[in-house]
Amino acid sequence: MKSRTSCSLTAIRTTWLILLLAMTLSAARADWRLEAETGALYESNLPNSDRGADEKDDFAWQSNLQAGNGFQLTRDLRLNLGADLGGQVWARYDAFNNVAPGGIAGLRYRFGLGPAAPWVLVEDHVAYAFFEEVDRSGLGNRFRVRSGFGIGDRIALEAAYTFDDFEAKDAFWDLGGHSGSIRLTFDVTSSLQVALGYSYRDGDVISYALPPRPDLVTLSSDREPVSSFGRPLYTAYRLRGSSNTISASLAYALGKYISVQASYEFRNTSSGPLEYGNHSVEAKVAFAY
Amino acid sequence: MGSGLDAGSLSVTVKDGKGALVSDAVVYVTSSTNSSRAAKQVVIDQRNKQFVPYVTAVQVGTSILFPNKDNIRHHVYSLSPAKRFELPLYEGIPAKPVLFDAEGFVTLGCNIHDWMIAYVAVLGTPYFQITAEDGRAVLKDLPAGQCTVEVWHPRLKGLPQNSAQHVDSVAGDAKELLFTLDLKPDFRVRRAPGLSNGGYP
Repeated sequence: MKSRTSCSLTAIRTTWLILLLAMTLSAARADWRLEAETGALYESNLPNSDRGADEKDDFAWQSNLQAGNGFQLTRDLRLNLGADLGGQVWARYDAFNNVAPGGIAGLRYRFGLGPAAPWVLVEDHVAYAFFEEVDRSGLGNRFRVRSGFGIGDRIALEAAYTFDDFEAKDAFWDLGGHSGSIRLTFDVTSSLQVALGYSYRDGDVISYALPPRPDLVTLSSDREPVSSFGRPLYTAYRLRGSSNTISASLAYALGKYISVQASYEFRNTSSGPLEYGNHSVEAKVAFAY
Repeated sequence: MGSGLDAGSLSVTVKDGKGALVSDAVVYVTSSTNSSRAAKQVVIDQRNKQFVPYVTAVQVGTSILFPNKDNIRHHVYSLSPAKRFELPLYEGIPAKPVLFDAEGFVTLGCNIHDWMIAYVAVLGTPYFQITAEDGRAVLKDLPAGQCTVEVWHPRLKGLPQNSAQHVDSVAGDAKELLFTLDLKPDFRVRRAPGLSNGGYP
């Protein structure tokens, strides 16, 4: 655990060092961008349960605010820095309510001029999530390498590798994993954009179930009773699992700075004989200036 | 216009296939008595991370200045065959304007802000106008005699010659012409948040 903590601290220090360095650049070169989004999320299986009887669905209202600053260092190289504040409020299971202030740093290189030119972006996002169930609170770090290019005026293809790491106050809630994803974005009309995506993740997952579950006891590295889903108490099982996720999203531009977006995602996770699925639907309004 | 010939005028209305009035269409007239205007400098501004105006028409040989009126840097470029150029990252007014020395239609972009786009029609005639919101353009002081009227728009399908109209004489009362253009959908990069930002910001 100590080595993971050390790794995370290094990432945080690096992120903020870049931030401080960039702030010393000329303010006139700064290219501010403010982004805000808010909307509803439906999750079909919040406990990540494999038994229908244990599944609990819920709605959340979630919002995110980000102030970003871009520094075009050379013709092709851009440094992006931002601070963000995200939050979720769940309708029934308020243990999962959280607010997460964070920062992001990214370096993008584009191989040529124009929106269709291939690009590579290396970014790191660090945020501290304060959960209503305090033991879940912790520091999250997401390191990502993204790359993409345009195919004509209307299609864009993007691939990414992500390393995610979350270190909670109570180590039981620590999570880490690696994932790879691809996404195809298509401009259907001048205002409507559609995206299809697939991702694969291998890493820690937590599955909840009503005990007794001797099958999960043998699969899990640790377990803990929780009151997050009320009574009777569920047990949380720490597992190593792999997830396959497919997603479909659409965005409709309402004006120059605002769009409405909707997305659907199905995630199938397996850990040995355990297998569960999650459906999530999100609808939100997004603003960027 | 200073052609020195009998002057005439044309009123041109441009519509799309659905009958909607089309703005930002470049209406230009070629005639056997085309004359040259004195070369002058034209300005395309960058304001609030947009090119202003969206469409500009100039005669071949015209220089265009690209002042950056934002307090951030822009990077203007064109990959169009009629004029390839780059004004790398700059603020304020560039030292030199860009000479547009070949006929054609030029697409301008900003390498920093992908939604910034503008067009320049570089024409071999001094007789042109751009349609306003009402889809109309009035061309005055045209030379007498036969002429050909063509219309170009950034979303035009095919070539302007395909919809050209020939006028025997523009002398006397103003003549009215109607063009119906077949336009492609508008697939400009949007400034509004989308599903892929290509690493911006």
